[in-house]
Amino acid sequence: MTLLLAVIVTVIFAVGVYLLLGRELKGMAMGIFLLSHGANLGILAMSGQPVRLTATGPTPLGPPVLTEATQPVDPLPQALILTAIVISFAVTAFLLTLLVATFRRADHLGADELANDDRPTVLTTP
Amino acid sequence: MLPTLPPNLIVLLVAIPMGSAVATTLLRGWSPAQRAVTFLSLLATFILAAIFYLPLDGAGMLVSQAGDWPAPFGISLVLDGLSGLLLVAASFVALAVYVYGLASRDQDEGRGWFHPLYSLLMMGVNFSFLTGDLFNLFVAFEIMLMASYAMMCLGGTKKQLSQTYKYVMLNLVGSTLFVLGAALVYGMTGTLNYADLAVRVAESTMPGGQPLPPGFPAVATMLLFVFAVKAALFPLWFWLPDTYHACSISVAALFAGLLTKVGVYSLIRLAPMALAAPNIREAGPIMTILPLAAGLTMILGALAALSMRETRRILAMLLISHIGYMVFGLAVMTPDALSGALFYMVQHMLVMAALFLGCGLIEHHQRTSDLAETGALLARAPWLGVYFFIAMLSLIGLPPFSGFFGKFLILREGFRLSGQGYWLLSALGLITGFLTLLALARVWGRTFWNPPADRAIAERLPARADAAAWPMRAGLAMLVVASLGMGLGAEFMQNRTGDATRELNHPRNYVAGVLGPNAWPEMTADTATPEPLGPPVSLAEPAAAAADRRTN
Repeated sequence: MTLLLAVIVTVIFAVGVYLLLGRELKGMAMGIFLLSHGANLGILAMSGQPVRLTATGPTPLGPPVLTEATQPVDPLPQALILTAIVISFAVTAFLLTLLVATFRRADHLGADELANDDRPTVLTTP
Repeated sequence: MLPTLPPNLIVLLVAIPMGSAVATTLLRGWSPAQRAVTFLSLLATFILAAIFYLPLDGAGMLVSQAGDWPAPFGISLVLDGLSGLLLVAASFVALAVYVYGLASRDQDEGRGWFHPLYSLLMMGVNFSFLTGDLFNLFVAFEIMLMASYAMMCLGGTKKQLSQTYKYVMLNLVGSTLFVLGAALVYGMTGTLNYADLAVRVAESTMPGGQPLPPGFPAVATMLLFVFAVKAALFPLWFWLPDTYHACSISVAALFAGLLTKVGVYSLIRLAPMALAAPNIREAGPIMTILPLAAGLTMILGALAALSMRETRRILAMLLISHIGYMVFGLAVMTPDALSGALFYMVQHMLVMAALFLGCGLIEHHQRTSDLAETGALLARAPWLGVYFFIAMLSLIGLPPFSGFFGKFLILREGFRLSGQGYWLLSALGLITGFLTLLALARVWGRTFWNPPADRAIAERLPARADAAAWPMRAGLAMLVVASLGMGLGAEFMQNRTGDATRELNHPRNYVAGVLGPNAWPEMTADTATPEPLGPPVSLAEPAAAAADRRTN
């Protein structure tokens, strides 16, 4: 289970980074959304076998969602994921608003064209 | 005499800005009321922070456990020497920048949203100084960053929008790595609380202790990357000059004073006691990356400042360059160097905000800060010249001014530990000081001293500068006077920063304050394992003896 989650997280991160490296703002935003999903799944994978260090050494617990009802489940990673989801929700809303505002001003969403619009002035002549 | 308040009230430092953000949102459209509410809340935060911080003696701290849950399980808010000093400084800078903005048009940007965002940003900054665990640090960062994203593009111009992407995208990647890193720390050590984490890390190399998983240095490096993005360290600073150039001057000054310092604070808080604690320092690349990043940030930032020809960009590059000094102090990681880094951080907050406000007044008088199109401002605005000159000298680090004392401590520690190659960093630091002087001398000469290069420009400049409204001058004067006071009262300040950083490497008091007495694992003589770098140097110890011990 943990291995499967790890593979999924890796693939999601790879696709997210690929999208982020593009030159189109919409694609970059999608990359960011994917990365935050990947991070949430990563927390879930991480909590699969918590190495809670007790006096008798680490006590492995099963994966949190699939554990039988008799075993206690560490609730903290789930709380972390919940918080992270809420935050990434807000970030998504902001990023989409920013995209709309930019499109209204500039009529395109290409990162290169936007960057070319204002180059910094660097000292050229003494 | 200052009143003593119950420690649980430190939550007010987060609650007051939050209340003010809600109130100013409801009052949108009634600008004078918004200004009054925000100003009063900033003033109250500053006064409260001072009341909490000033009575703290050497190892004193105020701890609030939310809901009275005991420490590693609940949410801890901690105000100790380190976070207290930074809270006082940060709320003072925020107050001064807000006073400056009262008279400028910056606060009218964004149809009344400026004020709630300002309060939200301060809530995030105060929370990240106060929080005692890693995940709440993430939440605090997000509050601060969301407010800063929106403030950056408040004007809604095309230039601002396009520059915002650089900042937003990089910080979102950083946030993703932060949440993942925090989760991995939890998975590896079973805790997120700073104090508990410090205990686990310290126990890990003791006989009978549970060793850390081999992946821990990798996670530490990941978190280092996150904080380096916030602090604008060498390879990750490219977003800063453009974004600070695009937004309004109030926003730029606030960001210059506070945002990068929150990243440096997180490093100073976490690196010595957990991520690169003395007993695991050799395990990962973090102690190679920190000095490299510090040296390159210092020298490349200063060189880039020399190539710019607008005051605002020059200041932005110098801001980055001088972050390098703090990280240098952090990389040396002796108590003296950390104390110097903290001192430098506080003075850098005040001075950078002052210089940016000065730049705002230059733009107010001359319509631009381009060096080719300004000149002879000293004759027309002498007081601005005096304030700017003092702030400049503080940044360069000349002795009576505040920049000298922090820099002196850091560079001296670098030369003292020459055996480990830190002399190179100290030499770079001295060169950077000289380059800073060159860059600022150009600003001074072209803007204040010499007449404009071109006669056509001279004719275009107004004969008399329009008088700046008094709040603008008052905001600048507050910051400059505070930095001057820091330079003249350097002994008091150095005692304070020394107290705050003495134990960062072995945080006995911090752990005892948060987790309760006897939580810190004391090493007895026969169970102590030899540490790679030797035990920490205490302030009381003669420097020469300590140096001997380190080179052995």
